[in-house]
Amino acid sequence: MKTDTRHASADDPRVFLDEQVGIFEQIPPYPPQTEREAEFYTLRDGEMFINIGPHHPSTHGVLRVIMKIDGENVVDLDPVLGYLHRGVEKLCENADFHHTIAYMDPLEYVASLFCEWPAVMAYEKLLDVEVPRRAEYVRVLTGELNRISSHALAMGFHALDLGGLTPILYSFIERDEIVELLASITGQRMLFNYYRIGGVNGDLNHDFMSRLGTWMSRAATHIEANTGLLNENEIFVRRNRGLGAMDSQTALRMCWTGPNLRATGVPFDIRRAHPYSVYPELDFDVPTRSEGDALARYLIRIDEIKQSLRIIDQCLHEMPDGPITAKLPRLLRPRPGRAFASVEGPRGEYAIYAVSDGTDQPFRFRIHDPSFLHLQSFNLLMEGRLIADWMAINASLDPIMGGVDK
Amino acid sequence: MDRALARRLEARFGTMLAGRARQRHDETEIRIAASDVPEVLRALHDEPEFGFELLADLAGVDTGEVMQVVYHLWSATSPDWLRVIADGLPREAPRAPSVTFLWKGAEWLEREAFDMFGITFEGNRDLRRIFMPPDYTSFPLRKDFYLADDAARSPGAGVRHMERTHEPTNTPDDERLRRVRA
Repeated sequence: MKTDTRHASADDPRVFLDEQVGIFEQIPPYPPQTEREAEFYTLRDGEMFINIGPHHPSTHGVLRVIMKIDGENVVDLDPVLGYLHRGVEKLCENADFHHTIAYMDPLEYVASLFCEWPAVMAYEKLLDVEVPRRAEYVRVLTGELNRISSHALAMGFHALDLGGLTPILYSFIERDEIVELLASITGQRMLFNYYRIGGVNGDLNHDFMSRLGTWMSRAATHIEANTGLLNENEIFVRRNRGLGAMDSQTALRMCWTGPNLRATGVPFDIRRAHPYSVYPELDFDVPTRSEGDALARYLIRIDEIKQSLRIIDQCLHEMPDGPITAKLPRLLRPRPGRAFASVEGPRGEYAIYAVSDGTDQPFRFRIHDPSFLHLQSFNLLMEGRLIADWMAINASLDPIMGGVDK
Repeated sequence: MDRALARRLEARFGTMLAGRARQRHDETEIRIAASDVPEVLRALHDEPEFGFELLADLAGVDTGEVMQVVYHLWSATSPDWLRVIADGLPREAPRAPSVTFLWKGAEWLEREAFDMFGITFEGNRDLRRIFMPPDYTSFPLRKDFYLADDAARSPGAGVRHMERTHEPTNTPDDERLRRVRA
């Protein structure tokens, strides 16, 4: 009965098989589920698919991108996520309020304080806790240090993805010193787990303060010298100028935030647009650029490093004395309610929406990550570009896959 | 708290709101029916007196009884976050209109809510799974999806027998869910 449905073998036309077996497996191996998927996976004449990732050094983690190419030109692309999905939201909904903070760090493994921050802020809103002023200053100080280390690394990796091997080494000099600084108060080099509900875990110590003073005295000149490696590199500048340009209206429609949005000319910085912590008392600018291309996204990070240095300087001068944590019971049971907290991280807006039902575990714990939304715009940025341009565009967006995949 | 925003919202949307606008800390919250989402969000986005041009977050929520879609919006006209809750989606077949006509970037956020809760967003051109594999059939963040082991249990909840953790919590008399509804 099944003879009608047999297929000729690709190897030998005299042989018939029950199932169609091609030289290549069908992509995707199931019928398309949406119109977009059907459109993407339909090849026209001369087009083919190429797969980048999930294990590719320029994907900054385990991002997989399927590209539809025509020769060297990219026609369309489809990012495939989920290779790093751990279900952090579900884990947090089954964990104690204090435990969830430790789950936050690996989401944002380059600047992990910025994922802890909205979580503790959301809990403080649920609990109506007032954070001591010294704790707020310590948070801002450590946060801005972490922002500098993240931006320094982003700049280094941007060059590395374009084949420049030297700048990353200089980036790591600054990053290593900052990481050591933070390790002297948090005890960790990478996943700090430092912020606590109502404060921070440990006070500033002598080791931290003396090393920070030494670092601050030379940081500005060091960063100036390091950026000279790239800003005056003609290959780097010409390759990035005009690449992956985005206009401000489209960026807002694509829900961009952070440096990538400010590089298109929108002065949206949550530290100013919706102030939190002690940022209203601090004096700093929100740098913007109008070009919106990969070079602007790189340059705006340098401007932000300079502003972060200003903030750190003010924090050190205005740091009040006092306690570093609010007095809270060990077992927290916030009354039922909802809280949304959002901070300006090095990549954009990190936000937490926490719902409490009166028990010691969050009922709903929603993590918002900016890189997730930046990756979505590859189609727009890559229009008519070459495959190799994807590396530069991806590096300029500076995604962190830990937060994208949750 | 931006009292003026609450008054403006109540004056503009009137009967579309379920109850009054609630406010706490720096958040203003309104509840609407899922069918009103396009009209309300378009008004919030387009009308200059509101000007909520930035979608800060889109989240699905399973309360155990109903599904919700929660939008957080930002505007230069108000110092508050605006939370719009599209309430009362049936758990059996949750459907909500897509907001991709306002924010194209909501496409992946809605894909995520679909992947985790099974909420169907009408008008989203690419509603397929994003984190879980395409042949996966469950919706992991629903409240009737249990973790396989007890490892993540809170010490405050006490030691529970394995069978206890697999008991459904969405029974109508469940104390925990009653408090969420309040």
